[in-house]
Amino acid sequence: MRNKIGVYICQCGSNISDYVDVEKVKEIASQQEGVSLAKITMFACADSAQKEMVEDIQQNNLDAIVVASCSPQLHVPTFRGVAQRAGLNPYNYVQVNIREQGSWAHSDNPKQATEKAVRSVNAGIARVSHSEALVTIKISALNTVTVIGAGISGMRSAVELADMGTFVHLIEREHFVGGRVSQWGDLFTTHESGEEVVTRLFEEVLKHDKIKLYTGAELLSYSGSVGDMKLQVKLTPRYVKEVCNIENLDKAIEVCPVEVPDEFDFFLTKRKAIYKNFESEFPKMPAIDKANCTFCGECQKVCPDIDLKQKEQIIDIQSGAILLCSGFDPYEPKDGEYGYKTIDNVVTLQQFKRLVELNDDKLIYNGKPIKNVAYIYCVGSRQINGDNKYCSRYCCTSAIHTAINIKEKYGDIQNYHVNRGIRTYGKQELLYEQSSIQGDIYLQFYEDSDAVVEKEGDKTVIRVEDFLTAGKEIDIYPDLVVLVTGMERRKDTSIGDILKVPVGRDRFYNEIHPKLRPVETVIDGIFIAGACQGPKNITEAMKSSLSAAAKANSLLTKGEIELEPTLATINPNACEWCDKCLAACPYNAIEKIEHSGKYIAVVVEAKCKGCGMCAPVCPVDAIEIIGFTNVEIETMIEAMAE
Amino acid sequence: MMIENENLTDSAENGANYDVLVIGGGIAGEEASLNLANMGYQVLLVEKDLSLGGKMIHLSKVFPTLDCAACITTPKVSETMRHPNIKILTNSVVEDIEKNGNGSFTAKVVKKPRYVIEENCTGCQECEDKCPVVVEDQYQYGLVGRKAVYVPFSIASPRIVAIDIENCILCGLCEKVCPADAIDFTQEIEEIPVKVNSVILATGFNLFEPEVITRYGYGKFKNVVTSMQMERQLVPTRPYNGVLRPKDGKMPDNIAYVLCTGSRDHTVGNPICSQVCCMYSIKQAQLLLGALPMADVTIYYLHIRAFGKGFCEFYQQGIGMGVEFVKGKVGRIHEKEDGNLILRYEDIEEGVVKEAEHDLVVLSVGLLANPETKGMFSNDSLALDAFDYVKQVDELINPAKTSIDGVFVAGAASGPMDIPDSILSAGAASSETASYIRRYHEK
Amino acid sequence: MMDTVKENSQPKILVFSTEKISDPAIDLAGLLKMHYPPTVFTISLPCSSAIKSRWILHAFDKGFDGVFIAADGTDCTYGESCIELTSQVVSRTQDMMREKGLDPARLKMAAICSVCAEPFVNHMINFTEALSKSD
Repeated sequence: MRNKIGVYICQCGSNISDYVDVEKVKEIASQQEGVSLAKITMFACADSAQKEMVEDIQQNNLDAIVVASCSPQLHVPTFRGVAQRAGLNPYNYVQVNIREQGSWAHSDNPKQATEKAVRSVNAGIARVSHSEALVTIKISALNTVTVIGAGISGMRSAVELADMGTFVHLIEREHFVGGRVSQWGDLFTTHESGEEVVTRLFEEVLKHDKIKLYTGAELLSYSGSVGDMKLQVKLTPRYVKEVCNIENLDKAIEVCPVEVPDEFDFFLTKRKAIYKNFESEFPKMPAIDKANCTFCGECQKVCPDIDLKQKEQIIDIQSGAILLCSGFDPYEPKDGEYGYKTIDNVVTLQQFKRLVELNDDKLIYNGKPIKNVAYIYCVGSRQINGDNKYCSRYCCTSAIHTAINIKEKYGDIQNYHVNRGIRTYGKQELLYEQSSIQGDIYLQFYEDSDAVVEKEGDKTVIRVEDFLTAGKEIDIYPDLVVLVTGMERRKDTSIGDILKVPVGRDRFYNEIHPKLRPVETVIDGIFIAGACQGPKNITEAMKSSLSAAAKANSLLTKGEIELEPTLATINPNACEWCDKCLAACPYNAIEKIEHSGKYIAVVVEAKCKGCGMCAPVCPVDAIEIIGFTNVEIETMIEAMAE
Repeated sequence: MMIENENLTDSAENGANYDVLVIGGGIAGEEASLNLANMGYQVLLVEKDLSLGGKMIHLSKVFPTLDCAACITTPKVSETMRHPNIKILTNSVVEDIEKNGNGSFTAKVVKKPRYVIEENCTGCQECEDKCPVVVEDQYQYGLVGRKAVYVPFSIASPRIVAIDIENCILCGLCEKVCPADAIDFTQEIEEIPVKVNSVILATGFNLFEPEVITRYGYGKFKNVVTSMQMERQLVPTRPYNGVLRPKDGKMPDNIAYVLCTGSRDHTVGNPICSQVCCMYSIKQAQLLLGALPMADVTIYYLHIRAFGKGFCEFYQQGIGMGVEFVKGKVGRIHEKEDGNLILRYEDIEEGVVKEAEHDLVVLSVGLLANPETKGMFSNDSLALDAFDYVKQVDELINPAKTSIDGVFVAGAASGPMDIPDSILSAGAASSETASYIRRYHEK
Repeated sequence: MMDTVKENSQPKILVFSTEKISDPAIDLAGLLKMHYPPTVFTISLPCSSAIKSRWILHAFDKGFDGVFIAADGTDCTYGESCIELTSQVVSRTQDMMREKGLDPARLKMAAICSVCAEPFVNHMINFTEALSKSD
């Protein structure tokens, strides 16, 4: 039993003290058994407050502390550090949440919020008085990261990790690397093309002996935990030999009788079942698309480097951490949404960008020359009725940049921007200005009255009630309507499902905290970066990739990770081997041994994760989870019920 | 100063090596320092101010999560202060950074006298009690006064006093009452030569000073305040413990925000968008509606830039709470005798020029480059962009790279940026720096 | 202690949450200032399948009116067996409750994901209402 307990009640500026009577909480806490000191602090997490705690602990020989402030998600390491610096075992500290689950949740009822805080703090005191001094467990960690997705985010983080000395398994579902960026032409701000950016990165990847790239790779399953994570990956054959003759392969593409819509061009064009997306594409050899290939063998006749007998492979990859860079999908408008798929000259921004790439001298769509282009913004973003309430962040700039490019490329073009308030934040503002100067026309529709795209004879008309001209209804007759479609999370959610990565309200993968831990997920050892986390432009995606690389490297670089010592323990006197705990354990962390003439179960510490699944199934209640023992939980219940 | 750092001071004076010199102890500098220190690198962090924490430590709550800024900065600050691999010099500036042939740098750190022995001061503030001098408190953006010997602000780190020698009358009272013998008027400027393998510029931004837009009357009309002054009235450690009009101390009930003050404006030489003002104004509006339930808040805007994760939802939440949004540029502000203000603005929705009366006007001031980086380098010139921000020379692939190999940029030193972006940018700078060090100095 | 706490007419609920999944959701409810009855108390565990029947019965013994298990459901980081094992805890405990003459409806379980702030709040409001009626 701890009997020299220090209790700190945080005001959190006024976040807590505006609703909770901290004076009263302190008063009652100080009367609890074992408490020798109780204090109020403005910010428990401030350096000065931490110093004071260290001094208190040392001067008063405190043997345990309770900090009642915000959620344990935020500051448990902070106050464990305080305990450690003061020479107190960090596990003789208990965090009580009186903010998220106190003052904020019950800001409508300060009186009861105070009562709840009183009892919660008392429960914390009860718990800490039964706490044991524990030593953290150290497990060895593999200095290897599996990066999922070889788009620019994945490749950039792979290169950086390898530069910092971490081995990388880079797995890509497609047969080619580069992801979405390889589909774009001229890029803001550097005017490099997507191909160039992808090429630069891929060349870096190739230079590294610390990066192993797998293409056509699909994640099947996941097991293990931080430091030692195991992935099972299916490798789909590309049906092309590793050493091959490109000329023969070009012939093979020619003779292939199968034609399918080309996803790379967003179905504007067709490609063969054996294909590559652009000339210099990486890896520099075509692939056969298994789903559409009829295995007729025509290609094999002209090219000996094709091997239709290649088999699917399943491999196991082991790494210390996983970095998810699985990117986004462009929003796919519903049929009929602003005339999409029902009116012939309506395309998405992504299709339009491919169209610009495919048209060198003149802008032509469906055989017709294009002079007037109208862009409708926020398609699939900031939806009034749909689920996508978020702003896709990159599309305003991307659309305006494209509008400037086509004017420069084709000359005689008039752009109309039908928008909902242009969001060219930061230095991107200059683009907006440039497009206005070049004569682009901006119209803004109201939040609640949408622009309408209709057919009028053989013309397509956009009707918009224009906010900028006092609500006048304006009709535009463009040659082409471009729907400025935003970003959505990947339609294929299998990776997230397998790894169980939580998603936010926008359905993108969610970080623990946008400011405190912006590239970490709640699952230890799983990081996220790039547009799988939410809409981002290229620079922003790079920043998050590099941040994630830094975090993953510093997690693994020491070769060992400290783990919580809160594991299961089995009382050998009570245990009568029955195997129920073994059956319940998902980690195979229970072993049967002989002890004092009987068989009993013991916990394998390195395997146990402290989940506690074994504890309730024990028919003789011989199993306890350290930190969550019967006496700790039951005295907490008593304090809360009082 | 922390004890762990003391011996490092000595070694630094001997010209010892650090792996990284981080300039600027705001959120970006701290994040970059911590990342690198956690990878095992030795970091020297130099902050010109008396405390770490930069601009962020002075904010109230931050969008879009409405966490209190202190809850996020103070733990980072104290982790930085405590880290055995980080040596901190506050009240110090860096000069004469020179690149050497082997990829390393020499620099001079100029440590200004605090007139207080840092190791001795406990921050008890007895001297502050006795000091007879009262001047405007720069940390409260002039809203209240402070003494000539003072703890910069309540959550400062290090939380010790400093003497403002320009305003000090040298009466010696502080020296007499100090129980720790920490006051030392003999301190002089110290010049510390350092040798480092890489440099991170995390020098942050300056706020636009709205006096130059005379049409808005800032400085002349007392009830026209800047957004930073409003921010200080909303923090938990606020000077008035409430929101008041400066002119008469009345509680305002009809508050206007003038967005794009000093941003997107060629006439003041800053045509770019400051990226944060829309969101911090919406945040302040929400906090104001909480603090003054009867008040009306109107935001005059050109475009609402609610682009980040959760921002658009936060904007919608503001609308839902009753914040009024008027699309229009405010042309001129007049003061009435009672201190109320008449805003003349173009109502874009109706296409007419209108006037509206408010009892408090908040100018949502924009961000400007911090020009200090210009003069820091002696033999190599650091490229800046058209607006004096540090130029990112390979923005798409190496966003922290500057025109000098081995010098990296983090946070708002390269352009306007919100806190989440600054933190990610600092993460990028730490990665790129670590790779640079490995490439040039470890192989 | 007793003098500070007035007898409360609202039923008292003990929530068992989980550190990585449901507790963040409950935090999120607070962060978004979504209100639920202040007579709801939370004890956080690594995983919902670790809850022992004796703890639940102890809570009823000591005066809680309801116990709510904010389960990990399919989000559990420790494995899929969590769902089944947690359900077993519930059904075992409900049997024990019946033996003791306690209405098994006083023990409820629902999966609460890490962002399920709103469902959590609704559960608390509805459970409180249901418990008030049964009193």
